Amino acid sequence: MTEFLQYTLQGLAAGGFYALAALGLAVIFGVLGVVNFSHGACYMLGAMVAALLLQHFDLGFWPALVIVPVIMFFFGVLVERLLVQWLLRLDPLYNFLLTFGLTLLTVDVMKRQFGVSSLKYQVPAGLEGRFTIGSVDLSVYQLFAAAFAVVICLAVWMILTKTRVGMIVRAATEDAERSRALGINVARWVTPVFGFGIALAGLAGVLAAPYRAINADMGSNFIIILFAIVVIGGLGSILGAVVAGFLVGLVEAYGQGYYGQLSQVLIFVLMAAVVLIRPAGLFGREEVA
Amino acid sequence: MRHTRMISLAAMVASSGLVLTACGSAGGGPASGGDSKLSDDKVVLGLLNDQSGVYKDLSGPNSKVAIEMAIADYKAKYGDDAVAKNIEIVMADHQNKPDIANTKAQEMYDRDKADIILDVPTSSAALAVATQAKAKKKLHINVGAATTALTGKSCNKYTFHWAYDTYMLANGTGTVLVGEGGKNWSIVYPDYAFGQDMTKSFTAAVEKGGGTVQQSIATPFPNDNFATFITKAESSKPDVIGIMAAGGDLVNFVKQYNQAGLQGKTTLAVGLMFITDIHTLGVEQFAGTTFTDAWYWNMDAESKAWADKFKEKTNTRPSFAHAGNYSAALQYLEAIQEAGTDGSDDVVAKLEGKKVNDVFLRNGEIRAGDHRVLHDAYLVKVKDKANVKEEWDYEEIIKTIPAAEAFNPTVSADCKM
Amino acid sequence: MSDALLKVEDLSAFYGEAQALRNVSLDVAAGEVVTLVGRNGAGKTTLLRSIMGLHKGTRGSVTLDGVSLDGKSADKRARLGLGWVPDDRGIYATLSVAENLSLPPVVDKAAAWSLDKIYEQFPVLHERRDFPGTKLSGGEQQMLAMARPLRAGSRLLLLDEPSEGLAPVIVNQIGQIIRDIKAQGVAVLLVEQNVKFASTVADRHNLLAQGEVVESLDNAEFQSRTAELLEHLGM
Repeated sequence: MTEFLQYTLQGLAAGGFYALAALGLAVIFGVLGVVNFSHGACYMLGAMVAALLLQHFDLGFWPALVIVPVIMFFFGVLVERLLVQWLLRLDPLYNFLLTFGLTLLTVDVMKRQFGVSSLKYQVPAGLEGRFTIGSVDLSVYQLFAAAFAVVICLAVWMILTKTRVGMIVRAATEDAERSRALGINVARWVTPVFGFGIALAGLAGVLAAPYRAINADMGSNFIIILFAIVVIGGLGSILGAVVAGFLVGLVEAYGQGYYGQLSQVLIFVLMAAVVLIRPAGLFGREEVA
Repeated sequence: MRHTRMISLAAMVASSGLVLTACGSAGGGPASGGDSKLSDDKVVLGLLNDQSGVYKDLSGPNSKVAIEMAIADYKAKYGDDAVAKNIEIVMADHQNKPDIANTKAQEMYDRDKADIILDVPTSSAALAVATQAKAKKKLHINVGAATTALTGKSCNKYTFHWAYDTYMLANGTGTVLVGEGGKNWSIVYPDYAFGQDMTKSFTAAVEKGGGTVQQSIATPFPNDNFATFITKAESSKPDVIGIMAAGGDLVNFVKQYNQAGLQGKTTLAVGLMFITDIHTLGVEQFAGTTFTDAWYWNMDAESKAWADKFKEKTNTRPSFAHAGNYSAALQYLEAIQEAGTDGSDDVVAKLEGKKVNDVFLRNGEIRAGDHRVLHDAYLVKVKDKANVKEEWDYEEIIKTIPAAEAFNPTVSADCKM
Repeated sequence: MSDALLKVEDLSAFYGEAQALRNVSLDVAAGEVVTLVGRNGAGKTTLLRSIMGLHKGTRGSVTLDGVSLDGKSADKRARLGLGWVPDDRGIYATLSVAENLSLPPVVDKAAAWSLDKIYEQFPVLHERRDFPGTKLSGGEQQMLAMARPLRAGSRLLLLDEPSEGLAPVIVNQIGQIIRDIKAQGVAVLLVEQNVKFASTVADRHNLLAQGEVVESLDNAEFQSRTAELLEHLGM
């Protein structure tokens, strides 16, 4: 029982982080209809930028938590303005391939510039050590990362449900053409939303920096798990991404605890099962053809 | 509809990666020619290693510098009497992929007229090159790869294994640590050939020393999140946790291990670790970690002097692989000098059974039976940051393992030359 | 008519090579209800979409209150006073009824109906204001779709087959709403197949066949010649 509780706790902690990382992917797909393959690369850039801020400007974790998302927001705006916008009217395949190419480019540039070995990063002071509740424990940092991620997810949820901006984003997510016919300048929202999604990826990268290897390849495996999460949750569904994030965290932890090397396979078994039973994902809407 | 399209796209993208690796080429051409003592009137040293990936820092382009140092030392020693007057180096990137290594090795032997290929990290790539060496009857001295198959079922007359292997790593870290009091082990390993081999070797080594492996925990490869694996490994209250991962997985594991508050509490033994890992991640992350090294630049005055020369040229300290490539190139040229020719069979005859001492090989012997090079190895502990006096000053040697004990004392029955 | 609110001149529309509209000209005065009547595929919806700026590949000109709409995006046209009520009602499932109402930006403060006024006119929307938009019945969704541009203060509704799929009693209700809207000075360009319904609400009619306006006539004439016209249109 203790074991089970321990794994559950670790799964929830990992899940919070997954939810945050997948959130941006869901938001971008929702509003732009773009399957952003470069989300993993942007996560990597977030972590790399955090490490470089530390190395060159002595700016630690806390400033990075603010600075990196801002930098990544503008990076996203740049990518959307320079590249993504031109393909938005075409088959979504084009932007998928574009962001795939962008990923290869980004990863290679970072390799060329910084090599493939991991960059240095430390757990911020005050977040070291373990946190014990009864018979189970968790590293303080992991707990922090999960709590922080949940707060961000809630904040995004509040913005989407309680503000006019959020309402417009939801409407544009559901039907962009109709929103235009109702007088909403959807194009004006597309760029900031893309930037926002990329900023969330960067934020996840900063959160990962203290406990994951920081190198050009760190997003390559991660993007596959993120895709599994958004497919399980339902593409474009914000709530789906969050719920599926926790679900995947739990499945992974139980897998690690009870089935060892199958822990990642189980994630994809879950994905396959969800897709078979509910092709649109847990919270996805079936699109009207 | 969009989600199904996305899934099929993802599958398409994944499979296109496989297709890309499926192209090879069959090079041809004459193997040698002329009456000169040297084929083509020159000696061509091929350096085939990772120029862009995980082992770039470990060996990579700086190994060329080490080989140039060997050539310079050889020429300085023999001057006008040198048999090999015209020595060239050709270099290629195998990207740690066996198919690319195979193609590049053919190109080097056939087109570039390489007489020898040096280095070749990554076991699968090394085995591909060993097969080419056998087919072309040209030499391969392996420095960078760990697999004992090079001196086991894939051994051949033209292939030598110079620096280290998984037996040495497991024996050094496993057996010796047990002797130091680390009786109970938990081993965490990535579930692919390398991790499985390492776990097998380590388990045998720990048991040989009188210790027990309480659990062996397989993890997916690659893997980012080790939290629950660490909890599990720790649950049997071991003296030592052995981690058999490499590269990014090793870094993920160590960071999360430290974060779980285990650093310094339980001894962490790393199956395969290089000084470059410590350098890039920071000595504080690895402080207290134990592993076996084939050579350390600051282990004595002779090594330090060579490392200083290396640093003048590269602005960095050498890894064991740099020193190993230097040693391999130097001893190869010495063998040509003795043989008076670069003919492969004559050179091999001179190398076999030779006892060698150089900056890298201490009490070295090139075992004739399987071409395993025996030499002293070192059990090291990563220093605490407070004790680090300069950059790259990371290792404290806790035990020198004599050449006779460092490697498998018997020639594998699988090895048929 | 010189005081036309909406003026469409020589409008042609294409789907690739195929021409869906041929030099259509019509106008709608302020507070007037004008129909487009024709069988399926006559180009009625294409005409509405072209006016709204949603159809790419058009020629000709559209002006609203003297302002040319040519080359302007759909959202710009909406903000100049066009109100979009598509045949599928276009209700957002992820937005509540109240959110559906407040989504379009107000384009004319003076003309915009207040929420109170909307709820007074459509009590059922008030009752269901917190429901997801698509949980409403067909008739309620139609009311919501029509109320939406009124709240924004649109001057002219582009109303696509509002009676489609609704029970007769609901259709009567919709007719009443159109007359109420007209009484408030809002113009309507109405696409209809239900000729009987059209004749109860409209001032003038345009008969559309194969992408062309074949006849324009006022309601009295339309009513007297209904049978003949329907036969002519093949309806």
